[in-house]
Amino acid sequence: MAEFSWDIRSPLDRTLVTGPYGARGEAGLSLTEIRNFDLVQAMARRGKAAEMAAAAKARFGVAAPETPKAVGNADATLIWSGPDQFFVLSKGGRHGIEALASVFAGSASLSDQSHARALISVSGQRVRAMLAKLSSIDLHPDVFAVGSAAATSMDHTSVTLWRGGDRGGQAVFNLLVFSTFAESLWHTILDSAAEYGVTIGHSEELA
Amino acid sequence: MKYSIFSLARAALSGHKNWQRTWRDASPKDRYDVVIIGGGGHGLATAWFLASEFGIRNVAVLEKGWIGSGNAGRNTTIIRSNYGLPGNTGFYELSMKLWERMEQDLNYNSMVSQRGVINLYHSDAQRDAYARRGNTMRINGIDAELLDLAAVRKMMPFLNFDNARFPVQGGLLQRRGGTARHDAVVWGYAHAASALGVDIIQNCEVTGFTRDTNGKVTGVDTSRGRIGAGKVGMAVAGFSSRVAAMAGLRLPIESHVLQAFVSEAIKPLLPNVMTFGAGHFYVSQSDKGGLVFGGDIDGYNSYAQRGNLPVMEDVCEGGMALIPMIGRVRLLRQWGGIMDMSMDGTPIIDKSPVEGLYLNAGWCYGGFKATPGSGLVFAHLIARDEAHKEAARFRLDRFQRGAMIDEKGQGAQPNLH
Amino acid sequence: MRIVCPFCGERELGEFTYLGDAKPRRPAADAGEEAVYDYVYLRDNIAGPMSEHWYHGGGCRAWLKVTRNTLTHEISAVVPAAGAGAAKVDA
Repeated sequence: MAEFSWDIRSPLDRTLVTGPYGARGEAGLSLTEIRNFDLVQAMARRGKAAEMAAAAKARFGVAAPETPKAVGNADATLIWSGPDQFFVLSKGGRHGIEALASVFAGSASLSDQSHARALISVSGQRVRAMLAKLSSIDLHPDVFAVGSAAATSMDHTSVTLWRGGDRGGQAVFNLLVFSTFAESLWHTILDSAAEYGVTIGHSEELA
Repeated sequence: MKYSIFSLARAALSGHKNWQRTWRDASPKDRYDVVIIGGGGHGLATAWFLASEFGIRNVAVLEKGWIGSGNAGRNTTIIRSNYGLPGNTGFYELSMKLWERMEQDLNYNSMVSQRGVINLYHSDAQRDAYARRGNTMRINGIDAELLDLAAVRKMMPFLNFDNARFPVQGGLLQRRGGTARHDAVVWGYAHAASALGVDIIQNCEVTGFTRDTNGKVTGVDTSRGRIGAGKVGMAVAGFSSRVAAMAGLRLPIESHVLQAFVSEAIKPLLPNVMTFGAGHFYVSQSDKGGLVFGGDIDGYNSYAQRGNLPVMEDVCEGGMALIPMIGRVRLLRQWGGIMDMSMDGTPIIDKSPVEGLYLNAGWCYGGFKATPGSGLVFAHLIARDEAHKEAARFRLDRFQRGAMIDEKGQGAQPNLH
Repeated sequence: MRIVCPFCGERELGEFTYLGDAKPRRPAADAGEEAVYDYVYLRDNIAGPMSEHWYHGGGCRAWLKVTRNTLTHEISAVVPAAGAGAAKVDA
């Protein structure tokens, strides 16, 4: 039998072109795809929400979010994705599906979403103006502070949105989107962002 | 009075000051042979057919608002007979034939315009489905043409053929389809029915039924008093469940809101009525120049006669996918009508389980095109106590018998029809 | 129309999908044809406040029970439907 290996590529591999896009001059936005992350979805089993929360607390040192929030420690972010469920976003296999299986045994069902989602990070001076074209969520800093999250839709596409820590004094918004919808949403984002000028890139670092 | 070139000339000589009223605004009498509830297109057409075809002239049409104030005045004015299932095919063709002679029958200009209706297809599978539907139509003596891409390009070069997510591959064309002026249809039937003695009574809301000791309906209570009736027919689509409940009936119907839209007037652009096959968007251009268009129902139960923004966005996205050049045309008006959504997407024209009460209901969003056919078959049912042969399958008990007529194959989920 | 999802907060209508009247209950397997016909095909088609099922598919994917007036579209209550989440089970 011939040797077989998966050619792992980002769902945005074909579409993403690094460099400047849209209006010239100082870019109003930066648009970065984060690649090669571990993403596990934990969903509490019937009646086991408290046990799942306790297991999460023991593992990560922070309580799993019970409301639309993103919380974390140095090497994992826990993002609310629905009632009694959350994502664990990390890197390097420390909190991948295999590492977490024993942690949540009996309390939650886990599914590996590492290759099922694309992660897009947007920031910059005009980020709220651009996102306002796509989202009906109020992203005003008084309402949507660092650590706020939402399970919502943009351009008819389900996304998990959360606000990361500020970078260079600018707000950072992270979007998890189904891989198969990533290209479509990427084009919509580019259309919306073009008038502000965009710097496009990709990174291996979690924001 | 009779409308003609002579009456026009005569009226012109007196500065158009001596036109008679189109129809007579009647007050209720104590009793009628037949009372029709609902002064929309279907109710008025039924009254006219009762008087003209079946010789029953002691008829009243009761309307809670003004005639044509319901769905007759809230549709997109499309007429067509391109249905594929037994039961529908023949009925809608009967209706189409009546559209073709309506203006002569009623002596009224209903502005029937057979400009053609084209359903665009965007995949091989959709072409096959349309070919099958077209063949069904032709076997039944109805005109249908399956157009290829070149023919559609020639007819409508402005469509987005290549760049859309769903490229246009062709279309199923019914040339005899088109549009009619919705208000003029209502006024035409009112004019002709009134001339034959039918009483059209407005601002007369039915509040209950009177029944004899055997349960037979003997009349109606209204906001203008009690009115006796030999037979009562209801043509109140949108509110059928409410009216039927007064007689103790539950119907296989949900009321849903459907929106329609009209743009500002632009120069003549669209040669026909067209539907986008990859999303729900249909459009024609009115004689005033406005683009008249619509799409899906909002999808939730409603009696509110107004819809919400997501569907408006969805319809406009469909329009932009098909005809990008209309992107800068401004939306002028939007409105909502209440649809009787039946459990299989097909109407009900039948006797009700209550003696003396006849049902004309469940038109979903296809009621306008059916107006003349509905009037004829409902009048037939009321006059003869048996179904017209083209409406024999529109039975109330078809859900119990498993004899649904479900063109979309969606099952008993009315917001999907 | 906006729906205040008990899990997500106020959201635009486009994120939700409609099922319909929350009142009908699936009849018992031996209830007979008449009961099944009633359940599948007949509707109260309420004009006024109605309890109904909505699905927040464009958000947290929870089923909700919404009390909404079909005459005005006014929403007076939204609660999780039975089985939404793991802890908030209500009959």
